[in-house]
Amino acid sequence: MNKALISFLVFVVGLGVFHNAIFPIFTPKEIGWILNRYVYFLLFVAYLIITNLVLRLKPPVAMTALFVWGLGFYFYKFVLYPPIPWTLFITYMVMWSIGTFLFISQDPETFREFRRPIVKTIVGEYKLAQIVVLTAMPILVGFATYNTIYPSYQEPVELRTVHPAPPATTKVHGKTYPLESTNNPFRVDEQDNYKDSFPFLDADKNEYMKYVTEGGTIFFQNCHYCHGDQLNGLGMFSHVFNPTPANFIDPGTIAMLQEAFLFWRVSKGGPGLPNESTPWSSAMPPWEEHLKTDEIWKVILFEYWYTGWHPRTFGTEGSTAG
Amino acid sequence: MNLRLLINLKHMGMKMTKNTNKIKRLIFSFLAVALIAIPTSAFAAMPDPIKKDMLETGKKVYFKRCVWCHGVEGGGDGPSADRLFTRPRNFIQGTFKIRVTDSGELPMDINLINTVKNGLQGSAMPAWGEFLSENEILSVVQFVKSLVQDRDFSDEDEEVNNVITGIAADNGKGPLGDAPWAATKGPYHLGIPQEHVDAGKELFIKNKCFECHGGEGRGDGNPTMKDDWGFPIVAANWQQCWNFRGARRDAYNPFVIARTISTGLNGTPMPNFREQLTGTERWQVAAFVNSLCPRKKIDPLTNKPIPDFLIQSVYTEGPVVPKIDDPSWASSDTDDRIVPASEEQKENPKRHHIAMAGQITRGKRNFDPKADNLWITSRWSAEENAVYYLVEYDQRFMSSDPEYPDAVAIQWPAKLQDLFGAEKPYFINGDSKKPVDIWKASFLAQDYNATNAPKPEGYKLEVNVEETVGYGFDAIKAKESEAKVQVVDSIFHQGRVKVMFKRDLKTDGEFDVQIPTEQFIPVSFLQWSGRDKEKDEHMAISTWYYTILKPALPASLYYMPPIMAVIFVAFQGWLVWMTKRTRKMYDEGKVKRDELPK
Repeated sequence: MNKALISFLVFVVGLGVFHNAIFPIFTPKEIGWILNRYVYFLLFVAYLIITNLVLRLKPPVAMTALFVWGLGFYFYKFVLYPPIPWTLFITYMVMWSIGTFLFISQDPETFREFRRPIVKTIVGEYKLAQIVVLTAMPILVGFATYNTIYPSYQEPVELRTVHPAPPATTKVHGKTYPLESTNNPFRVDEQDNYKDSFPFLDADKNEYMKYVTEGGTIFFQNCHYCHGDQLNGLGMFSHVFNPTPANFIDPGTIAMLQEAFLFWRVSKGGPGLPNESTPWSSAMPPWEEHLKTDEIWKVILFEYWYTGWHPRTFGTEGSTAG
Repeated sequence: MNLRLLINLKHMGMKMTKNTNKIKRLIFSFLAVALIAIPTSAFAAMPDPIKKDMLETGKKVYFKRCVWCHGVEGGGDGPSADRLFTRPRNFIQGTFKIRVTDSGELPMDINLINTVKNGLQGSAMPAWGEFLSENEILSVVQFVKSLVQDRDFSDEDEEVNNVITGIAADNGKGPLGDAPWAATKGPYHLGIPQEHVDAGKELFIKNKCFECHGGEGRGDGNPTMKDDWGFPIVAANWQQCWNFRGARRDAYNPFVIARTISTGLNGTPMPNFREQLTGTERWQVAAFVNSLCPRKKIDPLTNKPIPDFLIQSVYTEGPVVPKIDDPSWASSDTDDRIVPASEEQKENPKRHHIAMAGQITRGKRNFDPKADNLWITSRWSAEENAVYYLVEYDQRFMSSDPEYPDAVAIQWPAKLQDLFGAEKPYFINGDSKKPVDIWKASFLAQDYNATNAPKPEGYKLEVNVEETVGYGFDAIKAKESEAKVQVVDSIFHQGRVKVMFKRDLKTDGEFDVQIPTEQFIPVSFLQWSGRDKEKDEHMAISTWYYTILKPALPASLYYMPPIMAVIFVAFQGWLVWMTKRTRKMYDEGKVKRDELPK
C-alpha cells in the first residue's frame, strides 16, 4: 500500500478518533494539570510524529505541509479555549500559513519536492487529480462570490462604559449627599458578625438583622425581577433587557464600589446616568420615585449581607468575600 | 414496602416490652390494618423520612435564600408573594406539583432536590444547582419537609407510589414505560414519528384536554380555575414549553409532559390520566403537546428563548398582500437554523421573537404581565412605498370591557434623523429631548366571552388605531398631523392575537418616524392586557430592538458568480499553459533547471 496514503489515513483516522473519543476525556468540568485540552493536543501531535517515525512512512513534503497547516487550523478552531473571534482566527491562520510556508521553503530541495505534486497535477501527469481540481476550483470561486454578494445583516454592536463616573453630590428627597463622605447610616456594626444570623428570626434580637430583614423585604418586592433571587442578575425579567441587569455576585460590581455610589445609582436609576458614554439604555428605575431614602440604604445593606461582599471604603485596597 | 412497616412495628414492639396492653393492642390493630392493606398497596413505599441531622444546615440556607418568597413558616407568604404570579409554594399542606408519585401523594426527596436544583421555569423560582452546594441543597430539602404541618413524612399511613418507573405504576392502565419511539435527536428532541403525534392529537380531543388548555394548547380554555388555596390559576401554554414548571431545564424533552400526565399536578385542577391512557398513549399525548412548542435557542442562564434582536423586513416584489393567512405571510415560530423552513416558506420573512416583561420601572408598575413575548414578521414594498409589521402574541383571555381594551403598540424614535450613533430615546414612552412615535392598536374581540368553547375560525377584532408622541412615561400627547398608521388585518385565534400594521415609509407628520431602507432603526414594543386592567404605563414592555428594511437581492448575485468562475477558468488555463511551456523549455534545454547546491 502506498505509504503516503497510509500516512494520510493515520492523520485523518487518528484525528477522528482523538477528537471524538479522547478529547471529551481531556475536557472534564474540573480542569486539571493532566486532563486539559492542551495536553490532549500535545498528545495528538506526539501520536502523529511517533506513528510516522515508527512505520517509516516519510510522507511527501506537500503532505507534511498539509498536516502542519491542518494541525494549526485544528488548534485554533477547536482546541484553544476560550474560542477566539473569527477576525483573530483569520489573523492567526495567516501567520500559521506563513510559518508553514517557511517550513517547506527552508531549502531548495524540500521546496522542489513540495512543488512536484502540484506541478504534476497542473500539467496533467496526475490526470484524475487535474480534472477534479480544475473543475472544483471555479465552482468554489463561484460559490464564494455568491456568498460574498448575498446581503446579510447583523445587529449593530454597541459599546458602553460599565461603571459611569459618579457626580460629586446627589440630591435625593430634598437632601444633598456628598458621595465621597456619605456612609450607610444602617451599617451599625461589623457585617461579618451576622454571617450566620437569620433574617426575620433575629430581627427582633438585634438591630443589624432588623435592617437586613427590612432591606431584603424591599429587595424581594422590587428588585428581584431583574437582579434575581440569587442577586446574580438573572431575575425572571432579566432576559428582556439590554444591557442585562447587574450581577452582584460578580466581583466586578458592588464588591468594588462604595455604598454611596450604589446609593446614587439606585436613587437615580437609568435616567440619572451622565450624558457622556451614552447610550446607557438602562432599565433601572430611579428608585427615589418608589422608595424612601432609608429604604434605599437598607436594600444596599442587604445586598452586601447576602452576597458576603464588603463595600469599598477609603483606606482599604478593595474588597474581600465573606 | 409494607414489609418495612411490619418490621418497624415489630421493632417498636420489642422496645416497648414494659408497655401496657393498650399499646400492644394498638400495635396489633395496626398490624391487622397493614395486613388487610397489603393486597391493594402491595408496592407502595413510605415517604423518605426527614433527616433530622440536616435540619440545622437546612434552616440556615432556608432563612438566607428561601424565606423571602416562601415565608418564615413556609406558608408561601414571604414579602415577595403578593407581587408574584404564580405565587410561591405554600409548604404547610405538603402539596407539591412536580413529582413522580401518584396524585395527592407526598413527593420523594429526589423530586424536591431536582426542583431546587433546576428551579421552576416560568416562575420566579431560580435554579439553585450551581449556586448552592450539594449538601446545602439536600439539607434545605429536609428543612422544607419539616415545614409541612398538615402531613407527616414519617406517618405510617402515608405512602408514595413511583408511577413513572415503580412497579406501582400498574395502577390504572399500566406503567409509563419507555417511549414508543427510538431516542429523540439532539437538545431539541426532534424526530418523533408523525404517527405518534397524530395519535396524541386524537387522544387530546377524546380526553377533552382543550377544556383547560384550549384548542391549540395555549392555555386559553378556562378562565375561572383556582388552586387549592383559592388563588386564580391558568393552564399551561403548550406553545411556550420553556415556561413548563417541571421542565427541569430541558424544555423540549417529551418526558416532562409524559410525567405530568402520569402524576397530575397536586394543588391544581390538573389530574393524572392513568385511568384513561395507557403508558404508550401518555407518550403519544406528550408527543403531540411537544410538537406544538416552537424550537428556539434557549439561553442556558435564563432558560428563555434568546430574543431576535434584529427584525428583518423582507423586500416584496409588487404590493404586499395585507392578509394574515395569506401564504406570503406563513412562517414558522421555530428558528430555521434548527429546523429548516419548508420549501414554500423559504423566501418568507422570518418570525422574530421579542421578549416582554412587566413595566416595573415608572409610575404604576406591572408585576405580572400576561404576555411573555411577541412574534414579529415584516415585509415592505417599494412599489407601495409602505412597510407592514405583523405582531402576534399569546393571550389566554381577552377583555370584554370597553374601558380596558387589549392593545399592542410599536414604538419608534420620532426624530430618527436627530439621533447620533447608537443613541435612543428612553425605552418607556421616550423622554423630553428624544420623543417617540407610538403606533397603538386597541381592540376588543367581537362576540367574545372568555368562557366560550374553542372557536376554530377565531374572533374578529374591533380595532382602534391611535398615533401619539411620547415625551416621557407620563407625558404622551396626541399627534397633530394626519394619522397614517393602519391596521389592515387582525384576528384573535385560539389564544393568539394577530394584528397587522401598515404605514407609508415617508409621511408629512412632524413626529412621524421617517423609515429609511437598508438602515438599522431602533424599535420597541408595548402591550396591554385588558382583562388584567392594564392601561397607560401599566403595561408589558420590550427593550429597544433594531429593524431593517432589507433591499431586493442585487442582480449581481446572479451574474457575478459565473463571471468570476469563468475568469478563474481562464486563469487556470494560463497556469497550465505556462507550466507546460516551462517544462518544455527545461526538456529542450533552453533553460536550465535550478540547480541544487552540492
